[in-house]
Amino acid sequence: MTNAVLTGLVLGGMYALIAMGLTLQYGVARIMNLSYGEFLIGAAFASYWLFTGWALNPLAGLAFVIPVSFGISYLLYRVLLTPLVRRARTRDALEVDSILATFGMMFIVQGIMLTMFGGAYFSYSFLAVPVTVVGEVLALNRLIAFGLAVVVGLALYLTLTRTRIGTSIRAVAVDPIAAQLVAIDVTRTSALAFALGGALVASAGVLISMFLTFSATSGVVFTMKALIVVVMGGVGNLLGCLVAGLALGLSEALVATFIDPGLTLAVNFALFLGVLLVKPAGIFGRAQR
Amino acid sequence: MLEVSNISVTYGQHHALSDAALHVERGEIIVILGANGAGKSSLLKAIAGLLPSPAKIVKLAGRDLSRLPPHEIVESGLALVPEGRGVFGELTVAENLLLGANPKRARAVEAAQRAKVMTLFPRLGERLAQTVRTMSGGEQQMVAIGRALMSNPDILLLDEPSLGLSPLLVRELFAALRKVRETGVGLLLVEQNARESLAIADRGYLIENGKITGSGIAAALQSDDAVRRAYLGGLASEAI
Repeated sequence: MTNAVLTGLVLGGMYALIAMGLTLQYGVARIMNLSYGEFLIGAAFASYWLFTGWALNPLAGLAFVIPVSFGISYLLYRVLLTPLVRRARTRDALEVDSILATFGMMFIVQGIMLTMFGGAYFSYSFLAVPVTVVGEVLALNRLIAFGLAVVVGLALYLTLTRTRIGTSIRAVAVDPIAAQLVAIDVTRTSALAFALGGALVASAGVLISMFLTFSATSGVVFTMKALIVVVMGGVGNLLGCLVAGLALGLSEALVATFIDPGLTLAVNFALFLGVLLVKPAGIFGRAQR
Repeated sequence: MLEVSNISVTYGQHHALSDAALHVERGEIIVILGANGAGKSSLLKAIAGLLPSPAKIVKLAGRDLSRLPPHEIVESGLALVPEGRGVFGELTVAENLLLGANPKRARAVEAAQRAKVMTLFPRLGERLAQTVRTMSGGEQQMVAIGRALMSNPDILLLDEPSLGLSPLLVRELFAALRKVRETGVGLLLVEQNARESLAIADRGYLIENGKITGSGIAAALQSDDAVRRAYLGGLASEAI
């Protein structure tokens, strides 16, 4: 029981972190990024490559992966997505366009990774040392991944609520028209939020690669789970990401332990539908627009 | 101080505004009077850059703002309090004011501006941690004006600030606007409440069917028969 809860918390912490990035991209920049999970896998491969090829500790690799992924996402928004933002007359139109564009991007990124690494599953052994937590044995890498996810999530929360630039990002999410009236450059701030989301999912990719196996095609699972968590928690709500992410992780681990590991996806969607039936705008979402 | 001309706004085939021109000086309250749909809001939005008006000329203290995007117009000293207030409802009063001081021109004087806003609207000081969405209409209007003042503007544009407020609150609000004028800010006010707004204004413009049809000093407009019939008498009968 305790082991299932611990596994669930670690997994849920990862889901929450992944979802926070997506909620930044979707809630602020209004880009529904279907290639989101591909960037997670990309970062996982980068971490694998740095570890096996250069013997670089994945935690040190973060210092390299985070800025690079931030830069790539920023350029992606500026070069590929800004034209869509410019021509979109409404937010809804932008959503449709961005879904189509990022759906295409998903295949491109996936194709590149398939060519480079093939379709096999990858993993590497880093800090796979057993440690005892509240009487249960857990791998150290999972524990560290969870701890870092907490640190990153907290840092993001404090940045968004305590700084001027963070408050500007939230202002764009709340009302992009009014944001212009307080001298916020909405396009620039959206690019920043999109890039921040990219950096978050990349850091999650590195952390996950430390204890899960992954392949060039497993990104879509993470995109889907991030989407479920974001919608379940309420779009644009960080606390919602945390609660929904943990709920998802816990339910998966409990079902896998006590019923059947094959049912994890089923319980994902059962939870998702259950929440939406009771609260259509998500746990912390407000019905608006 | 602020000089605008050639402002035209079209919605599809409909000309909401054609060739409007006006000027506002430092420490002046200017009111634009007109019926619903006369083009008043379009005028302010076009000046602030929120609506396209390709041939417009906007000059503030000699500087050309005609081609700037909205966020740079605020940066140059022109702040708009839009119709419906445009506050960030999900954020707190303190956060709204913090965002108001976002322009670079406002950073150096942020503390002083905040003190001014707090003296002007003491109620905001008591409610800094409150989420704006949960406040009354009058309080939200204070947040909107306070936020605009935080940007340290030379000219403040206000779109129907009295809309939906009780007569008592309207009087309070207009008293506050008078104090803002004393600090040297120029105010351009769009209003349907002709009686109250002419009482505090220095000059006024009349706008009808998308055209500016008249202008004059406020006292003259108040006693003008046509204005009385169109805006003052009409308003009194509407109120009954």
